Amino acid sequence: MAAFEKILLKNMDMPDYSGSLKDYERAGGYRAIQNALGKTKPGDLIDIVKRSGLRGRGGAGFPTGVKWGFIPQDHPGPKYLCCNADESEPGTFKDRQLIERDPHQILEGIILACYAIGARTSYIYIRGEFALGAEILEKALDEAYKVGYLGTNILGAGFDLDVYVHRGAGAYICGEETALLESLEGKRGKPRTKPPFPAIAGLYGKPTVINNVETLANIPHIVNRGPEWFMSIGSPPKSPGTRVFSLSGHIARPGNYEVPMGITIREMLEDFGGGMSDGKQLKAIIPGGASASFLTSEHLDVKLDFEGIASAGSMLGSGAITFMNEGTCMVWAAERLLEFFHHESCGKCTPCREGSMWLLQILHRMEAGHGKHEDLDLLLKLCGNIAGQTVCAFGDAEIAPIVSTLQHFRHEYEAHIRDGCCPYRTEQAELVSTGSSQRH
Amino acid sequence: MGYVKLTIDNREVEVEQGTLVIEAARNLGIDIPHFCYHPKLGYDANCRMCHVEIDKNQKLQASCSISVADGMIVHTDTERVRESHKSVLEFILANHPLDCPVCDQGGRCDLQDYSHRYTPTVSRFEEVKRVFNKDYFGSVIEKQMNRCVSCMRCVRYCDDVIDAKALASAGRGSMSEIKHFGSHQLDCEFCGGCVQICPVGAFTNRISMFDYRPWMLKRTDTTCGYCGDGCQLTVQTRDQQSAVNTIIEVQSFHGTGRNNGDLCARGYFGFGFANHEARLTHPLIKRDGIHVQVTWEEALEYAAERIVAIKQQHGSDAIAGLASARLTNEDLYVFQKFMRMSVGTNQVDSSVRYGHINAAMAMETVQGTTRWLITYEDIVKAHTILLLGTRITETNPIVGLKVKEAVKKGGAKLITIESTVPVVQTISNITNLSSLHLQANPLAYGAVIQGMIYAVLAEGLVNEETRDRYPQYIERLKQATMSFSLRDCAQVAWVSDDQIKTAATVFSESPNGIVLVGQGVLRSPGAFETVLNVFDLLLLTGKLNQEGSGLAVLTEENNEQGALEMGVVSEYLPGSSDRINNTEKQEAQMQWGSESVADIGLRLPEMIEAARDGRVRAMYIVGENPIESLPPAAKVRDALGHLDFIICHELFMTETAKCADIIFPVCSYFEKDGSFINSEGVVQKVRRALDPIGESQSDWVVLAQLSSFMHVPMEYSLVTDIQDEISRFRDSSRKAARPDRKVFDRYIEYEASNPKVDCRYVVEKPKTSDTRPLILTVGQSLFHSGKMSTFSQGLQAIQATGVLMIHPDDGEKYGVMDGSLVKMESDHGEAVIPVTFNERYPQGTAFFPEHFSEAIGEVLSMTIDPVTSVPYFGSAYISITSADSGD
Repeated sequence: MAAFEKILLKNMDMPDYSGSLKDYERAGGYRAIQNALGKTKPGDLIDIVKRSGLRGRGGAGFPTGVKWGFIPQDHPGPKYLCCNADESEPGTFKDRQLIERDPHQILEGIILACYAIGARTSYIYIRGEFALGAEILEKALDEAYKVGYLGTNILGAGFDLDVYVHRGAGAYICGEETALLESLEGKRGKPRTKPPFPAIAGLYGKPTVINNVETLANIPHIVNRGPEWFMSIGSPPKSPGTRVFSLSGHIARPGNYEVPMGITIREMLEDFGGGMSDGKQLKAIIPGGASASFLTSEHLDVKLDFEGIASAGSMLGSGAITFMNEGTCMVWAAERLLEFFHHESCGKCTPCREGSMWLLQILHRMEAGHGKHEDLDLLLKLCGNIAGQTVCAFGDAEIAPIVSTLQHFRHEYEAHIRDGCCPYRTEQAELVSTGSSQRH
Repeated sequence: MGYVKLTIDNREVEVEQGTLVIEAARNLGIDIPHFCYHPKLGYDANCRMCHVEIDKNQKLQASCSISVADGMIVHTDTERVRESHKSVLEFILANHPLDCPVCDQGGRCDLQDYSHRYTPTVSRFEEVKRVFNKDYFGSVIEKQMNRCVSCMRCVRYCDDVIDAKALASAGRGSMSEIKHFGSHQLDCEFCGGCVQICPVGAFTNRISMFDYRPWMLKRTDTTCGYCGDGCQLTVQTRDQQSAVNTIIEVQSFHGTGRNNGDLCARGYFGFGFANHEARLTHPLIKRDGIHVQVTWEEALEYAAERIVAIKQQHGSDAIAGLASARLTNEDLYVFQKFMRMSVGTNQVDSSVRYGHINAAMAMETVQGTTRWLITYEDIVKAHTILLLGTRITETNPIVGLKVKEAVKKGGAKLITIESTVPVVQTISNITNLSSLHLQANPLAYGAVIQGMIYAVLAEGLVNEETRDRYPQYIERLKQATMSFSLRDCAQVAWVSDDQIKTAATVFSESPNGIVLVGQGVLRSPGAFETVLNVFDLLLLTGKLNQEGSGLAVLTEENNEQGALEMGVVSEYLPGSSDRINNTEKQEAQMQWGSESVADIGLRLPEMIEAARDGRVRAMYIVGENPIESLPPAAKVRDALGHLDFIICHELFMTETAKCADIIFPVCSYFEKDGSFINSEGVVQKVRRALDPIGESQSDWVVLAQLSSFMHVPMEYSLVTDIQDEISRFRDSSRKAARPDRKVFDRYIEYEASNPKVDCRYVVEKPKTSDTRPLILTVGQSLFHSGKMSTFSQGLQAIQATGVLMIHPDDGEKYGVMDGSLVKMESDHGEAVIPVTFNERYPQGTAFFPEHFSEAIGEVLSMTIDPVTSVPYFGSAYISITSADSGD
């Protein structure tokens, strides 16, 4: 594939780049705020981001500039920006690298975003397990405060900003933006009913923007080099820019790779992931984190951009691509993911709470060889009863592995039922019961 | 507010803007199934049961969380919607135990009803069901999490309405369950709200467990007989055919009563006394020191004979009458008429004397009526509320909810002048909601008001209109307050100058303001003067004659206002406005055809004295228990022992009843028809829910019969006959709650010219004692009311004994352990009682619930108000030492 310039991971590729303020500045960092603060009107900054076509990198892919534009400019009270660093989607580890290796890139993005929307306070909600990341961010904040990039009257532009790091407590759902807000407010992390949307009533009921780490990391570059530059990268007009993809699974070289959007899955796997490991054949691909539907080896030429993956019946999601080889049992894979979703369902709404448990119980039985033909129908019916019926997108996420494996690999389910065991196992699977209050 | 038109199931409806779709449908009689939605709570949209199709939306919408819009088209009964309802029910039922036969909710369960409406009789769920072990919330609530639908109504109610925050959802996802905080048993307010608001059988009432099916119960709407809030209760009794005359359960429904369906522990769990086995069932006469059962005829004849004899021998004024303010208006009216007409004396008093009379006389002095000039709705809408010595959650929980609503939903500013510490506990603490809490000396709440008046005058905060209209009055107040400084008030009250100044500023600058005065003031020395001072504060800040502003006094007993308006105090005749004067006297005489109403007679403390010295020879006591109420008990018992003759009307064999020559068994309010008047001045119906227990009768029936035996008959056949007669004296409409301009002008003129106003503005340091370092206050507990509640098994299960509450630091200071026994000593006596540490009570204070006051009777002493004759015995200076000797 053609040569291209990295944007987000560029600095950290430099030898001896420590991520310190000094290193970041040496690499050209904090130029964007020097040029923008007090010189560009906040409204114009929003316009620049809108024109760049940048879309959210957290999963939903909502246009960032449009999101900022929803904030009522004349709102009299406080407004907030929350940086969503609760990276918990299975298979995703890009934000972690961005945080740990180049924290100032994110801070600069935060400063610009706050300036654009008129926020004087920002919170970085970081996944509880990212202890190192939190420490690095705190250190970066100290550095930024010391030189006056944060605090009062930043760069003499009359703009004040305080940024706080808040560590989560280990719930996947807190990556959902409204659950994140609840958690940040000190409540139990459960999604809110929308509307009202956070832009109108977010943190503490005030207008709030929630942006993903990678989204914010793009902002300084867009400000420095202009929206047209950004629009020329990747797969414009709908998917401009690069993505940092997290590759995992049965491949030779798992890891984070920043590429322009629009390359094919095949290019991703072969040019970056080093192909399948151990010479095995590819069977299934999850192209956007655990919430995305499974694709198959037939989809290798699908483009890795928002539309490409969507038209193949899945989603680009968080940019985590998991490859599974021919020896992977698809029923087991679905069961394993359901275990995750059942464990992480917050329990707020009925279909997700009860549905995740029921589906998991059926999959447990199926994998253990106790499945029945009627179960396949029941699985699909139950999934249908969850789809679109829940408070947040979690419901749609938890059914994706089942619906897509049944779509592409129905024969594997049928083999389990026919043979009374999992064809990929040498030992009989244990029939696990979830029906106990003791299990938390 | 504007209106919008929308179409629901092809029917057009016009509703207020902002109405939720589910409510708009309800207007059309369309019941959209739901679990988590409740009009009292903000929406949570978690059950997903109320899905409907709205406009062209691709996704179904939760109708509980969408507001109506003009031209909106809603479908609640399409195939898609029905499928959605079915699927949600299928999910809920998957792990539901289907134990309806042993679930008390059966027959009134939303899940049961919707199941019948939507689902087939077989389930597709073949997996192992999730099982939570049965658990309990204290001794009164059973928790069955297998039945829970996770709608969070209980948690939201506990948080939003009650503000106790005692419950939470614990665990995640399908393992979520409702739990309370801490590893100990739930120790919340036990308002029963979680049981009432649960749409299924996850929470049920252990008091009535397995005793009934809802359809077996007869429902009677009546008014609660505990505090003055006047909550509407729906009393559920076994129907008559089953020959079981028992109260099974009490409920209150959303949208009904002054309480809007909210109750407290007393209302919800406190009904058991009515069917208590110790109820008196037959008339008793004391013969040779022993009470023996007699017939009504025998008892009445004997009573009449004795009363007439004493009257002839010693005169009418040798007989004194005392009644409880828990009786119905009709009982109270007939009682005072019996005393004033059949006996011919004005020696009438009631439990109003314990404190409410202080407020009543002050209110009458300033506004010419003893009624509130505001309503509960005004509290909810108020901008600023000042609580003065109320401990409102404990004494008047439902008015407390109105205050909470004003603060939490209306954004009202709350100023609290209370001794309690704002700590977070699972019994809501009103001071936590306070925007300005003055943690005051429990014996010096009045000094804060004096200080606020001082600050208003000194800081130029006087309302302009008041300043222009009443310059002399203000001058007089200025002179009167010259005798002290703000610092004096602050020191006496244990607060800072600045706090008082801020309170004065906030209150005077607020567009309106309500002052709620509670037992902490009304039952302490100087109450009458403090209430008058509150009126001065209201007047100075322009809030006295302003709509939606004013003074509201909280009554502890359910019908104190009724007792006052029925004239069951010697200062007042029936009517509500004026003390005994010639006009009323004449009117009463014309009505009753008697001429025997004398001038002000003896008041309760004086009656006891007169009993001792022989001026009073007989007492007629209806539902009161002075031996246990007035300390020291031995002294009162001794005084009553001097009497020739005592008649008691009682439910139980109280200490006072034990001294009686005749005891008439009477009905509890569950067995009576009549009315109560709540704190707010609203007359509310009391309806018979139970048949009278044993041979008990309504008090008025006994009195009417007795009057016939005495040949001065009061002829009433129905309770409505009495009500007709009362209505001739008393304007029952809200019109009566209007200030009397003439009285007000008189007050202003008098206060403007009378140097006596000075005596209300003296700041005296309450005495302190080095050897008795703690200030003990005795007051109401949330779980009891008087002594009657101690016969309710439900309330006894929550709180069975009196425990002294002290701050943990004081515990350490005086070397006592949490939960141990302590010896408490005052200058009057001592008592050994258990002690509990509670951070709500500040250092230097201690609290004991009055319902168990017999345990500490020796410690307390009584002083009498020089103006209103109110006996004060609610506080003492004490010392404590450990009584755990270890042997």
